Amino acid sequence: MAQHLPIPVVFVPRNSFFHRLHPVPKLIWAVGAIVMAFATRNPLVLLVLFVLGILFIAGAGVMRAYGRVMLVLFPISLSLIVFQALAPAFPQPWTPIAGFGPFTIYQEGIYSGLSLLLRTFAGSNFAVLLVLTTHPADLFTALQKFGVPHELNFMVSASLQLIPIVQREFQIVLSAQRSRGMRATGFGAAIPSMVPVFAGTIERVQQLAMSLESRAFGSKGAKTSLREVRASAKDVIFGLIGIVVTVAVTVLVLQYQAQLDWSKTPFMPDWVSVALVAVAALTFIAFTIALWWRASRE
Amino acid sequence: MTTPPIVCDALGHEYAGGVLALKPTTLTIQPGEVLGVVGQNGSGKTTLVKHFNGLLRPTSGRLLINGEDARPRPVHDLARHVGYVFQNPNHQLFATTVEAELRFGPTNLGLTPETVAERVQQATSFFGIEKLLTSHPYRLAFPLRKLVAMASVYAMGPDVFVLDEPTTGQDHAGSNMVRKLIERLREQGKTVVIVSHDMALIAEVADRVLALWAAEVIASGSPRAIFAEDRVMQRTKLYPPQITQFARRWAPASTRPLPLTVAEAAAAVLGEER
Ligand SMILES: Nc1ncnc2c1ncn2[C@@H]1O[C@H](COP(=O)(O)OP(=O)(O)OP(=O)(O)O)[C@@H](O)[C@H]1O
Ligand SMILES: [Mg+2]
Repeated sequence: MAQHLPIPVVFVPRNSFFHRLHPVPKLIWAVGAIVMAFATRNPLVLLVLFVLGILFIAGAGVMRAYGRVMLVLFPISLSLIVFQALAPAFPQPWTPIAGFGPFTIYQEGIYSGLSLLLRTFAGSNFAVLLVLTTHPADLFTALQKFGVPHELNFMVSASLQLIPIVQREFQIVLSAQRSRGMRATGFGAAIPSMVPVFAGTIERVQQLAMSLESRAFGSKGAKTSLREVRASAKDVIFGLIGIVVTVAVTVLVLQYQAQLDWSKTPFMPDWVSVALVAVAALTFIAFTIALWWRASRE
Repeated sequence: MTTPPIVCDALGHEYAGGVLALKPTTLTIQPGEVLGVVGQNGSGKTTLVKHFNGLLRPTSGRLLINGEDARPRPVHDLARHVGYVFQNPNHQLFATTVEAELRFGPTNLGLTPETVAERVQQATSFFGIEKLLTSHPYRLAFPLRKLVAMASVYAMGPDVFVLDEPTTGQDHAGSNMVRKLIERLREQGKTVVIVSHDMALIAEVADRVLALWAAEVIASGSPRAIFAEDRVMQRTKLYPPQITQFARRWAPASTRPLPLTVAEAAAAVLGEER
């Protein structure tokens, strides 16, 4: 039965350059981006990495799917900006920029909030690109060639497949509880549904294990794959570029660490910082109210 | 004249993503009626009955519950009129004892502790599950678990029962139990809507059968009339109960009423010989 489900991150079939690319170079970029994102806190470097990721995603034609994924991170990132600005994760003393009433915004907070935010997105962009443009089977076939055990691949892909199933199961169980007069609001309402969902999931996993055994999952010897993944010159080049960029950026960033530390440098006019925090706070509040309102109407 | 508990007024449903699962359907369910809903997989049976307690909302047309538009009423409110028993009892049961399970529904309706206790007591004796009250629902065998799921809905005291595939996965004894329960609900004047692929069950208990095909109600009538209509049977790829098929081959041009059960067929044979 073809059901419409809110799946957060899945492969989007297209025919772009990135879709045709071998999974391994994409994996190199994904890992490289995370390394680079954690090597520095400089907002400008992170911004460049972030924009590069966005360009790749747009080039792959998966911008809408990316937007849906990132919507989940949106409220968290707004709260990062606000809370960091008010209470930076930095050693004191902090440099105040502006204050409204009991709140004071600090330069270190703006720096820390922005860099955490950009780091999250810059680091995850390429991983999301990998997931959105690579058929899971291709990824696992490719990894197997590099010696990753078949069982491990299978474990990961089976768990990923379980997510939409559990989601659907949760929805059925929730509607069964509502049919028995339960008011479906808030987290408390979800608790009675946990038991059936988890009991069902455990049962399903046990059955899966048995059905795998009965289809010779544990047999010795190399496993073959229906899908074939070939690497061409462009794949090698793209992978090599990924490695070179990662190494070069990481080395440079570490070498010029002192210059790139902008925690005390007012890199934006004060009014921009204040506006940023105010907009983030207001949007965060509006978002929370909207969510709460939607839940109460269910 | 009593108000019909459920009225569909050109009710249609299209799922997000554009699947038209139910074309506009107009239907009145009378109080005390036992209605069977049949049709192939994916013909829209579950989609239709999920509207009756608000689990789905019409994307076109209207639904009236006891004569009132159901639109503004949430599921937990409609639940006091329409009880929905899910196909899989595991989706419904979560408490650690059967008794707690039975209390859950009436408590949600905001009844007083005395009334809740009374409802639990009524459901227990109606379903004859006195011995199970302290058991863990997950430890029970499947037919008993199904029984507990039905009892947990009964305890809420709805006038209408929707049963989705009540006999699927049940052995002979289990489905006989379901039959008896439906008969007893009928005696109590309850309205029962049964979605099922079990034609023998439908033939035996339903007052009226609704045949769905490709998101549309293509026939509605007594089981005897529906099972005699070759056009409907061929289109829906359904088969009447075996005894009915047998009787039709054995006396094709029969003018007698078509037998739906073995007892009716036996009576017909004996009547002829006499
Ligand atoms: N949540 C959903 N989203 C999208 N399409 C759906 C959804 N649920 C059901 N459908 C589709 O709607 C159609 C009718 O489904 P429905 O569940 O009502 O059929 P059914 O008659 O109950 O079938 P079955 O006998 O298999 O239970 C099917 O084509 C099904 O794929
Ligand atoms: Mg169904």
